[in-house]
Amino acid sequence: MHDEPDDTGLDETGLDEAGLDEAGLDEAGLDEAGLDEAGLDDTGLEEELRALAARLEPVPDRLMQAAVDAYAWRTVDADLAELVFDSLADRDELAPVRGRQQERLLSFQASGLAIEVEVTAAGSSRRLIGQLVPPQQAVVEIRHADKVVTLTTDEFGRFAAGSLPAGPVSLRCGAGAGEARSAVVTDWVPI
Amino acid sequence: MPAGADPVQPPGDLVKAAASGDEAAWKGLVERFSGLIWSVTRAYRLGAADAADVFQTTWLRLAEYIGRLDHPEYVGAWLATTARRESLRASRASARVVPTDDDAVFDARQADAGKPGEATPEEAVLMSERADQLGRAFRALPAPCQKLLRLLMATPAPSYAEVAAALGRPVGSIGPTRARCLRRLREKLAWGKAG
Repeated sequence: MHDEPDDTGLDETGLDEAGLDEAGLDEAGLDEAGLDEAGLDDTGLEEELRALAARLEPVPDRLMQAAVDAYAWRTVDADLAELVFDSLADRDELAPVRGRQQERLLSFQASGLAIEVEVTAAGSSRRLIGQLVPPQQAVVEIRHADKVVTLTTDEFGRFAAGSLPAGPVSLRCGAGAGEARSAVVTDWVPI
Repeated sequence: MPAGADPVQPPGDLVKAAASGDEAAWKGLVERFSGLIWSVTRAYRLGAADAADVFQTTWLRLAEYIGRLDHPEYVGAWLATTARRESLRASRASARVVPTDDDAVFDARQADAGKPGEATPEEAVLMSERADQLGRAFRALPAPCQKLLRLLMATPAPSYAEVAAALGRPVGSIGPTRARCLRRLREKLAWGKAG
């Protein structure tokens, strides 16, 4: 679906640059095999690669289905808490540790609420320990691929859940008491 | 016109429709951009589990941001950027685990031998020889060329803006680099035949 005007222009440029126009071929005196090879313009070669990739490495069906199903997780009534810190991405070089660190720290920030999470991995199983800041009691849903684990924080805003499978996760924090703040959902992060 | 019925419906329209609850429009986005996101995971050479995580996370992110995008018409570049960032995150994380075999990426030997489609046995042999040559020539390219071409190989074909987003590079660099990489691929193909 090359439907952009750019592409046509670039194909021509590519041909010129590669010196594969017919005059060039004659001058170079390429044998028939060479002619055949060079006769493919850039678009043709790219199409051939695309067909090969589609045959060898198609998007797995179960992932196509997962992409369709992702729509069901859409929330329309919640503030978004963005991932603002991930020890995996943001801290490895700054604070090298000996051996392999087992805990990963994630921070999510919405207006008026931060969610701090510590993830511990054991094989393909994950354990979450988290805290709402400022501390408050609230219902927290751990949204995980095809299920939801619902928890209530203690008076210090702490919560914990074990035996979660590895994969993308998002937390949803119910509205505060007396509607002091609206519900909050975090960015999805693979754990 | 029902959403998703038109294969060339502008992505921005699909985003707006999906944001207001149109599930068919969401499916339209999935069909249009899954190939691109998958190609990003292949271009960054992620293992199967990481690739699946990045792919799913990217779509889950879009579901959450669908009504919040500043430029719905650039949703393809937004998805490519998200997939790139998540791929880089996954690469760092999986420094902890056994890396995948580089040769397993885009390797004709992985082809499903029993799936030549409607081709006759003779055609299938020719197809697989050509696939083999292409695969070998491709893997002989420098890593940056492999990365760029693997992105361009997405189905349907991505725009240069989307490819640039997937690489974190300026759009203007894509066309010239593409031409250079395809020329090198032709050279490798020619040598492969000679040798």
